[in-house]
Amino acid sequence: MSFGLPAAETLKQYRIWDSYFTPSFSNPGADGSSRLIADIQRAMPAIETGHFEKLCYFAHVGIGTTTDRSLEDLLRAKPELVLEPLNRWPDQLLGMIQLNANDVSGSLTALDRWLRDGPMLGVYFPGSGPGAANCLDPNVATLVERVSELKGVIMQHTWFKTGGKRAPHESTPAELATLAAKFPRQRFICAHAGGEWERGIRAVRQSSNVLIETSGFDATAGFIEMAIREIGSERIVFGSHLPSRSLGTELSKVTTAKIGEKEKKDILGANYRSLLKPIQSLK
Amino acid sequence: MVFHRRDLIHGVMTMGAGSVLAANAGQSVAAIPMPSRIIDTNVSLFQWPFRRLPLDEVDGLCDKLKELRITQAWAGSFEGLLHRDLSSVNERLLKACQNRPELVPIGVINPTLPGWRQDVQRCLGTFQMPGVRLYPGYHGYALNDPLFGELLAEVSGQEGFVQIAVAMEDTRTQSPLMRVPEVDPGPLKHWMQQIPKARVQILNSRPGAAEKSKFAAIPRVVFDTSRVDGTDGVADLVRAVGDDRVLYGSHAPFLIPEAACIRMVESHLDTSIVKAIMQENPDHFRRVSVSPPTDSGR
Repeated sequence: MSFGLPAAETLKQYRIWDSYFTPSFSNPGADGSSRLIADIQRAMPAIETGHFEKLCYFAHVGIGTTTDRSLEDLLRAKPELVLEPLNRWPDQLLGMIQLNANDVSGSLTALDRWLRDGPMLGVYFPGSGPGAANCLDPNVATLVERVSELKGVIMQHTWFKTGGKRAPHESTPAELATLAAKFPRQRFICAHAGGEWERGIRAVRQSSNVLIETSGFDATAGFIEMAIREIGSERIVFGSHLPSRSLGTELSKVTTAKIGEKEKKDILGANYRSLLKPIQSLK
Repeated sequence: MVFHRRDLIHGVMTMGAGSVLAANAGQSVAAIPMPSRIIDTNVSLFQWPFRRLPLDEVDGLCDKLKELRITQAWAGSFEGLLHRDLSSVNERLLKACQNRPELVPIGVINPTLPGWRQDVQRCLGTFQMPGVRLYPGYHGYALNDPLFGELLAEVSGQEGFVQIAVAMEDTRTQSPLMRVPEVDPGPLKHWMQQIPKARVQILNSRPGAAEKSKFAAIPRVVFDTSRVDGTDGVADLVRAVGDDRVLYGSHAPFLIPEAACIRMVESHLDTSIVKAIMQENPDHFRRVSVSPPTDSGR
């Protein structure tokens, strides 16, 4: 071990697939991609240090998920801009699209364009921005139904914040568990395990079709150990939140946990590959 | 004219943003030499009040420090957050550090308690601690409080340093029964001008770009790395305040100790800056005389 990292060979054996890569998360740049590309490059030293195999980012596709109207117009007019990162790093990047639950019609069209007919593997329901809606909003259920038909993966932003929600459209793990109960054959990823993970893990404990994602909060000790104890390694997927969070914060949660090597492999890549398999088999 | 290495590094730092990164970026971590001594300026002993932590027993924490090649750790006490009998808190801390040469006890002072000057005298005089640690958020005062100025003058007069924990955890994850706001370090600018001898380290800050600029304007204050996040967060902090004002700290065992360690190499910081943060700056802050370096990695 050097500087707290496992040996390179060990990291390679983990076959790390990052489910939550967030370069230029809120806006890819006025020209449709430059900020996004620059942020991916910014993360590259960490990606190389961690020996990641693949990373999944969440693309804006011109359906009103940013506050920049001209950018939205541009992305609709030139969808090839959306594909630039995937074309540039075809062996490393996977993509999902950010949905706008406040525009069901536009989102349904985007699902056909990008999941059914395109390279994207799933969707992201954001917790903030103009596309955000609480996951119990009926619009979300409509979109979930269609994603499910397309065998896509669903990542839902969640937080349990002390003092309550900062905005009504934020979703908690408890609310995601309620949504998930209506779609027992669809699996959902509970992003950030709710942030306050002691509550988040408990909230989804009985929801066997909900997995938790590991990024987005400080490297608080004991998280993975509790998650393994309460829901098992098969329901945990690794996310890096790079570059706005660090490899140190996010990778150490898993690599240093007092768990077995098989469990680490599950979390760092195997579980996510399993989630992606149905839709990848259709591509 | 004689140039000290520290001055040279600082000169380079001001030349351009890219200069904090290694010229040979892309080398494997295994190829980066670890400093011969690593000093963690921010660990705590005993139990976090709100949950058990995997390393909250002293032996377990010391084993982990050894595994990470941390040769010295400045240890506060979680008991100091809520206990009011701080004399006994600091005695237990001292006792736990005895016979563990890697641990340097840092006593807790609460200036809102009667008799705090006696606690300072015990910590710095009787117990020979090099500094004290403050938890203003948990003890109910702000840094513009004259009491804080009195405390800083007292500790500085006794040649000690002051560590200020501006937070212990993300405010979004605190117990709803104990919501503790983050401490504003802004008033330090006044006190650092008033008390030229003062040595102050900010702990557990997670500064955004605006805060980093604000930090840069506070003279002489140094910062730990424990919650400086973002893949290039440490490099950004170095750019903002200078490489001689950033000290390695992990906030273990509340945070996973490897997290801060990995952050030192993930963005390919120049090895001289890694050494400054993990070894030279803590030594300099503590005013430890060090023999000429024989650093060739371990």
